[in-house]
Amino acid sequence: MSDPTWPARRFRFSPATTTTPHLDIASARTFTSTGAMAGNRLNVDGIMLFEQPFTRVPYENFRKVFRTSQKQIEKELGAVQISAADLAMKAHTPSTDKKMANSVKAIDAMISRVENLKRKLSELQESSGSPTLTVMRERSQHLANVEALQSEMDPEFSRWADTRLDRWLVDWSLRMGKERTAKQIAYDRGIENLVDIELFSDIRRIEDALNRRSCTEALAWCSENKAALRKLKNPLEFDLRFQEFIELARARRKDDAIAYQKKFLISWSETHLPQITQASALLAIPPERAFGQYKRLYDATRWTNLVQAFRLSVYNLSTLPTEPLLHLAMYAGLASLKLPGCYDHATKNPDCPVCDSSLGRLAAEVPYSHHVNSTIVCRMTGRIMDENNSPLAFPASGQIYSREALEDMAAKNNGVVTCPRSGETIQFEELRKVYVS
Amino acid sequence: MDGPLKELAKLEKLVSNSNTAKGKAPSVSDSLEALLLSLKEAKERVQGGTASPETYTSLAKTVESTKKDVDDRQKEVYNSLARYGKALDKRFTAPLPSYPPMFTSSESSAALERTIAQHFLRTGQFKTAEVFIEESGIDIPPEMREHFADLHRIMSSLRQNAIAPALEWTEANRHFLHSRSSPLEFNLHRSQYMRLLLSSNHLAALSYARANFQRFHDRHSAEIYRLMNCLAYMPPSRLQGSPYADLTSPSLHADLEPMFAKEYCASLGMSRQVPLRVVGDIGGGGALARIEKGRKVMRERKSEWSQADELPIEIQVGPENRYHSIFACPVSKEQSTEQNPPMMMACGHVITRDSLQKLSKPGG
Repeated sequence: MSDPTWPARRFRFSPATTTTPHLDIASARTFTSTGAMAGNRLNVDGIMLFEQPFTRVPYENFRKVFRTSQKQIEKELGAVQISAADLAMKAHTPSTDKKMANSVKAIDAMISRVENLKRKLSELQESSGSPTLTVMRERSQHLANVEALQSEMDPEFSRWADTRLDRWLVDWSLRMGKERTAKQIAYDRGIENLVDIELFSDIRRIEDALNRRSCTEALAWCSENKAALRKLKNPLEFDLRFQEFIELARARRKDDAIAYQKKFLISWSETHLPQITQASALLAIPPERAFGQYKRLYDATRWTNLVQAFRLSVYNLSTLPTEPLLHLAMYAGLASLKLPGCYDHATKNPDCPVCDSSLGRLAAEVPYSHHVNSTIVCRMTGRIMDENNSPLAFPASGQIYSREALEDMAAKNNGVVTCPRSGETIQFEELRKVYVS
Repeated sequence: MDGPLKELAKLEKLVSNSNTAKGKAPSVSDSLEALLLSLKEAKERVQGGTASPETYTSLAKTVESTKKDVDDRQKEVYNSLARYGKALDKRFTAPLPSYPPMFTSSESSAALERTIAQHFLRTGQFKTAEVFIEESGIDIPPEMREHFADLHRIMSSLRQNAIAPALEWTEANRHFLHSRSSPLEFNLHRSQYMRLLLSSNHLAALSYARANFQRFHDRHSAEIYRLMNCLAYMPPSRLQGSPYADLTSPSLHADLEPMFAKEYCASLGMSRQVPLRVVGDIGGGGALARIEKGRKVMRERKSEWSQADELPIEIQVGPENRYHSIFACPVSKEQSTEQNPPMMMACGHVITRDSLQKLSKPGG
């Protein structure tokens, strides 16, 4: 039943039916399962389903900061270690003026290295480490806040959900390349730490480079995230290397290509042997005479595919879904509400989101909602009828309204009720009780 | 989030370099500082000619032990970070589902952009709306912009604590507001009164109350009573600690904006709730999780959805989100259709016509 007006013509007395066991079951169940309270309790697991990337992105960022600090330490302290060992080795050689001068020089170099390291580490901590840690703290706390709430009715939840929608809109804008909108929302709502503008401007920078046919930036990203990519068995780095090789082949720089292959491709032979063999063959085939698989290797669409592969790798690493979070939420939200009645002019309800023409257009892409229980909305009050506000029918026209509405009407009209649709006018007592389970 | 927060707190302590950090190894900057001292000391000895072979060997030892301390400390940070990552993995066990691209057709993406633009306008994010409309190059009907521009004008006055334009509108729409039992007009006056009171202008507040509260007596008498009692707790600093402290909250004024927007939209026949919020809240409040669970069960049973264009399970929504009547037959469990409408039997029970026909057949 898709019609909120529950048309009278459908609604008649059945002439001959007697009560059957089926109907007893039905009547025993009457009004017990409206499920009307389902909307109140906060479904924390359902909410958290969306939030994995929210915590993952800053976590990955902090890991990156840590790796940078580790590299600097290895570099500087490693050098200091070597110098110190060197001095110690020469400790027992006779002391001369020259030796003294050299030692002082060596120690000065060590001092400057350690000072340099100290400064770099504190800069790194200040510019990246601390801010990232703050983001991790704010986001974890943001999720803890919603976990602590009990009900959807809590005004605190409403504010939280406002922010969530803002976050989704930022995510959506960034993915759609509407960076100015994204920044405006973040600034306007003061949620810079809750959105990933930097991540996406990095993506954009690297994608722009790929579109200019430069793999350098993407390869740098791969090396920054080497361990994680390896863990995910992500072949992006090989694809980029292969592309650079193809470009050398395209330019017919055969010697460079062979050197490149040795340096960067051979190490992948365990997993990518066919491609590496293919690469060797490619050297013999100039682009203008290429055919079949070799023609495809020279094809420009490989670059477009690289852009997509890169973006998927970034998403994968941060557990970001391939679709915008907003789309996923809308898919489920629209499907929960969508009914055939949303598309029937006679039964549209201005309060229903799916009845809106734009959202209705989007809902065309999602399935209809499924219902095993009835919901009957009173067309006079707009309220749902239940055991406390049961439906009553006009006997001749079959139109039904809530008891609340009809009692109200009867009180104002000396016990007489008139159906606004059919004009049927009767005494309140003549209304028929209707059982809808 | 208890687990991740606990691990995060440990990590923060470890990274903060403060002396309270309870690392087993000294902080990296302390280690480096100590190393610098040793280096400088060694340098002085060498320059002063007092350096012995031991000076060099012990310096090398110091460097080695510093490196070890730094490595230990880094390892502690690394482990702590890994524990935080594990705690996150434990909290978020299910990844977001992957769906094929949606809303990609030109009609759909235009509809989505329109929805989003309207959302910004509707929720008063006008600057954002402007940037978005420009960046997307979409067309928003002029009358909609005008309506929202009018709304904007009134709302920005409200933000600057000028309620006159809003009152002008509520007075023109008093009948409409009354039919909706909206407290908007009263709340506007209440805000003005409290502002006067809190600026220690209680005579002005009193005369404002006399001039404006009268009309609302039948519907807001209790509230008016509380408002007038505030006068007994002057000056404002005393009011903060009184039972009426809630009336000093800035939200009393801040809430006027969304409330005004809601009433204004209703007067234009627009939905009472912000539609994108409704859809997002349902989708993000458990519906996606339920749909995914339903899909998983279906996959495990290796059965297809009986109807591809209908969800296999019911997603329950709150009463405020039920906009249409639905009749599900208690006998067949099917939803009624035009061809199979609900029928009421003599006893008052309602079932679908198909079920009714089956029941009335002999032996049915």
